[in-house]
Amino acid sequence: MKRNSLIIGIVILAGMAFQSCVSVEAYQKIYLNDENMELNARKVAVYETNFQAYREGASGANGGKTGGGCGCN
Amino acid sequence: MRMQLKYWLVLVLAGLTSMTSAQETFKELDETEINFLFNYYEQDGDNGAVQGGRGTEELSNVAPSLIVNIPLDTVKNLIAYIGFDNYSSASTDRIDDPYLENINLSTASSSDTRFYTNITYQRKNNAAKVTQSYKAGVSVEYDYTSISAGYGFAKESKDQNRELSLSGMAYFDTWQLIFPTELRGTDGLNNEKQRQSFNFTSTLSQVINKKLQASISGELVYQTGRLSTPFHRVFFNDGESNIFLKERRTEKLPDTRFKIPLGLRLNYYLNDYVVLRGYYRYYYDDFGITANTFEIETPIKIHSTLTIYPFYRYHIQTAADYFKPFGQHELTDEFYTSDYDLSEINTTSLGFGFKYSPIYGLARFKGPFSKKTGKVTKFKSVEVRYADYTREGNNANDPGGGDLDAYSLSFNMTFTF
Repeated sequence: MKRNSLIIGIVILAGMAFQSCVSVEAYQKIYLNDENMELNARKVAVYETNFQAYREGASGANGGKTGGGCGCN
Repeated sequence: MRMQLKYWLVLVLAGLTSMTSAQETFKELDETEINFLFNYYEQDGDNGAVQGGRGTEELSNVAPSLIVNIPLDTVKNLIAYIGFDNYSSASTDRIDDPYLENINLSTASSSDTRFYTNITYQRKNNAAKVTQSYKAGVSVEYDYTSISAGYGFAKESKDQNRELSLSGMAYFDTWQLIFPTELRGTDGLNNEKQRQSFNFTSTLSQVINKKLQASISGELVYQTGRLSTPFHRVFFNDGESNIFLKERRTEKLPDTRFKIPLGLRLNYYLNDYVVLRGYYRYYYDDFGITANTFEIETPIKIHSTLTIYPFYRYHIQTAADYFKPFGQHELTDEFYTSDYDLSEINTTSLGFGFKYSPIYGLARFKGPFSKKTGKVTKFKSVEVRYADYTREGNNANDPGGGDLDAYSLSFNMTFTF
């Protein structure tokens, strides 16, 4: 129940955030264009994502626990 | 005379205008970028799945890789990701040890190397603000081969404040089934099984204001085929206390699995020195695992060229329905595993990274293609990242079961030419 409330809360918060969007012109994107603002994981973090996917059964969208590196252990 | 002057003035202005528009339509090709990545990973624990949830999990892994991004023209890119993992594992060394003795056997299974490559061809339509990607990949190791193919589509809004991306990937894998030595049938190592995974991902990215942007993503993952690891042992609750006589089988899991991960990413530019990067992920699958993951990273600009970023990640998950610790499975159970990766755990990852990227790069030199392209190679940036990883088990009737310590050290050197 607690977990469901948390998920619903996060979805509502995300919805509210998306609702309150303002149109930002290209010349106003100096902060958004900062490389730390990229909405992706860092390239150098790919290895951690890989071992976390193996050590935690709740892995993402790769092929799942297969092999290589720490996958076989 | 005055008419002539006017005529020349109009001609010059027209010429200038056409020159300007010609300059505007000419766009210089982006630079080719190469990232040299390297990782060293080490872990230790006492719940090796090869030994039925007991015994060493000591492992080390060395993984260099290369990402090359080549602009073919102003709208087409080719991205290649090539690398290998070379691991040494005390746990898989026990595949050929039916007595599970704690000695270093150095069998053929104690180490292995996986080679992999992924190629992406990307094409942008700047007028329609659409990007299409075609992906293909292959991964090969001693007992496992995986071939993948996929397609991605992304559409940006006119004001470039919103982007919707959809992508699909399919993995076609082949296992060569290596069972623990005492459970090997008459087929020996000649058994092969297939596994397929189909992933569909949709992501909506949105600029919220001048300093805040977010993305929300949902995935659907369907797996079918051999999902259990053939060399994982499982010991049963058969009343036998002598481990050598105890009933043992290889792990057995259902042959389909359905996963739904949902992610939310939120980045906020606090000021010229600090950025806040937040991430939350909810996970559900039909093995009975639900999970929540939180991550926060705070890049701090020490100098215009140097950024350090401490980060913290917390993950908590419930156990799969088929998990039980050593010797607790009933002989009548349909599915069974003692792999603690599928058990009730929480993990913390604490670390930091730094990135040094001077405006004109760390060094400039003539590279192998300089003669052909007329461009110098630039050593653009260097990045180092360290993570300390702790896993704690929360499994009933098994205090301390599932605990594991690990660390990871990674480098990324970026070159352009």
